[in-house]
Amino acid sequence: MIDQDYLARLEAVQPRELPEDLDLFDEVSARRGIRLNKAAYSLKHPEQRELFARDEEAWMEQFGLTEAERDLVRRRDWIGLWRGGMSIYVMVKLSGVTGTPLPEIGRQMRESG
Amino acid sequence: MARILGGIGASHAPSMEHVYDAGEDVRRNEEWEPLFGPFQQVSEWLSELRPDRLVVIYNDHMDEFFLNAYPTFALGVADEYPIADEGFGARPFPPLPGDSGLGWHIARSLVADEFDPTICQELEVDHGVISPLPMVDFAEGDAQWRIPIVPLAVNVILHPLPTPRRCFKLGQALRRAILSYPEDLGVVVVGTGGLSHQLTGPRFGQVTPDWDKEFMRRLAEDPESLCDYTHEDLIKLGGTESVEVVNWLAMRGALPLDARPVVEAYYAHKIMGYGLQALAAGPA
Repeated sequence: MIDQDYLARLEAVQPRELPEDLDLFDEVSARRGIRLNKAAYSLKHPEQRELFARDEEAWMEQFGLTEAERDLVRRRDWIGLWRGGMSIYVMVKLSGVTGTPLPEIGRQMRESG
Repeated sequence: MARILGGIGASHAPSMEHVYDAGEDVRRNEEWEPLFGPFQQVSEWLSELRPDRLVVIYNDHMDEFFLNAYPTFALGVADEYPIADEGFGARPFPPLPGDSGLGWHIARSLVADEFDPTICQELEVDHGVISPLPMVDFAEGDAQWRIPIVPLAVNVILHPLPTPRRCFKLGQALRRAILSYPEDLGVVVVGTGGLSHQLTGPRFGQVTPDWDKEFMRRLAEDPESLCDYTHEDLIKLGGTESVEVVNWLAMRGALPLDARPVVEAYYAHKIMGYGLQALAAGPA
């Protein structure tokens, strides 16, 4: 049972009344995005970047991405990846290997509202 | 005993790295002078102050820490900190020198004070540390860092985050840790991040200069008033990623309340509200 004391403590850490166009990376995104984030995080290693450039499908295969997630990567669907739980900080690494400048991601983000 | 000489709050961003790496002409052109000019002033202030160590409170951007095990606070206790490869190849700097003795002392003191950081004997630092640091701590002629650091990382990425008040208190505990170190060292505490920026969703690129200036004013004059803000408040005022300003608040907690700004600059440009503030601790 959730008691009042817990709810009062939660107040301090859990944003609850954010407008829809402001988001958080929290339990929901962390759980949903775990495969996508693992994949993009791997790109800090040069050998993973080389594999991505050489064989994108083989690169994706390593992380058990779902078919829907692979499709988001293939289509460079930055909004879809974001909604799929990919953190902006690893998305930047994916933007690097796909040659996508941040302003282009920004343009898509702005048009997502 | 060690002394705290002052503090520096500074934004961190890959854009600052690109400008620095492009060389002196770009750093001091019309576009970047409003930020890099004041960085030069902070560098000169630091040269006069001659600190022996920098404690750098920052946040990693999934360049070292990942979601498999994300630390709320993480403290470096190494003798050197290599530069992280953030996905584009690491910047060509030598590893930053550390001070494992001071690091371990801070670890013990923080834990005794009921702050329990993840203790890191190996730690690669990303732009949270090395986007502002070269401007104040790198001797380009010798290609050497000048001052050994102790890095302290705060989780500002994976909610739930430590509260602003908790971060201020962490700074106060860091102060007790530094002041109890038996060696006669002068220490400057650095907090990096912010100010306003929004990197996701339809508000991508939004900056809020009025709030940023208000934040800097409060940080200098009345830092405890910032402890009453929740992350939700900070996100509404400065954007999702602006919660990094808790790193500044932790830095401020390590300084005496009457510390005063000696350099202050604010520059809203493109998708960032860039802030810079150097605070002198006054006579010890």
